Amino acid sequence: MQNSTIQDYFFYTVFGVAMGVTLSLGGFADFEQVNSLFLLQDITLLLVFAGAVSLCMLGFVTLCRKRKIAKKTYNGGTIPGSIMFGIGWAMTGACPSIALVQLGEGKLGALVTIFGIVTGVWVYRTIAAPSFQLDTGVCGE
Amino acid sequence: MTAYLPWWVTAISLAVITLGFYFANDKTLGVSGSWTRVVQWKNDKVLDEESASFIKRPKLFEDALMAATIAEFGQDEVTRFLESRHQLDQKPAVDRVQAPGAIARRIHWTVHLVFLCALILGGVIGAMIRGDIGIQMNMGSVHAGLFGTGFAFFITMFVGGALVGFGTQLAGGCTSGHGLSGVSRLVPASLIATMSFFGAAIIFSMAIQYLT
Repeated sequence: MQNSTIQDYFFYTVFGVAMGVTLSLGGFADFEQVNSLFLLQDITLLLVFAGAVSLCMLGFVTLCRKRKIAKKTYNGGTIPGSIMFGIGWAMTGACPSIALVQLGEGKLGALVTIFGIVTGVWVYRTIAAPSFQLDTGVCGE
Repeated sequence: MTAYLPWWVTAISLAVITLGFYFANDKTLGVSGSWTRVVQWKNDKVLDEESASFIKRPKLFEDALMAATIAEFGQDEVTRFLESRHQLDQKPAVDRVQAPGAIARRIHWTVHLVFLCALILGGVIGAMIRGDIGIQMNMGSVHAGLFGTGFAFFITMFVGGALVGFGTQLAGGCTSGHGLSGVSRLVPASLIATMSFFGAAIIFSMAIQYLT
């Protein structure tokens, strides 16, 4: 098993910053924007999401024909976990990346969200996961 | 304060990031996984020690693989398989276990930590570009109107954050992993997850709106 190289640090930094800037400039870190999306009053962010997914689909279909990319498998945690996440997103205006972007923008309330995320991840991994026995995996691995 | 980017600019940028991330790192973009690795940073130490011993002694790795194979299929089945290959005078399916390199590359937890910090930096730069940087204690007037201020605000943010943390781990991904990386490849689990979290967020937001 190879250890992480300087290349990993470089690319993760570049894509992290690019993603943070994009989400910030796109309005994803603004609670009012997110809330009006969920109330279906302003679907700008939905267009962003649909547009990004369509372009990614085009990219994956044309560029990754011969590659085998691991697919997530459905299990008993998929729906309940997603519902919990959706409610949390509606309460805080944050998904796991956006809480960090909000903090960068100077919204200090996001610190509480981040503390909540760390607590939630820790509770799931150390207390809940051993008894649930679901193969939820680690995203991106 | 400048307005937000047109939707299609953000969409193109997110798509380039999602695809670029995959091609640069050979891993699909997924922020909730970075949280897992950072929160569970101690596990990396155990994995490091284990992989170090395998790198030093590849034979140990082969033995471990064989032991796991026997545990899974039983001694008899493995013996039968090896004999059948021998009879056919074929080379073994795996000639020599390419021990350490054969396993998927593991990104060190510190790289994931750097990634999360880079997202914060991205937020700083984004706010500077829009000329909207400044310390803000709440999440705006709409949030305050729905969930209150002071203690109620803290409870909302903490409980909401905990739901995001626990929920994304249980679901195996979030907006980036299930939403962008998964839906664009039409992965069934990701389609179900994405519909569930958007649906739950819409229903919850509308209910709160109705109640306040």
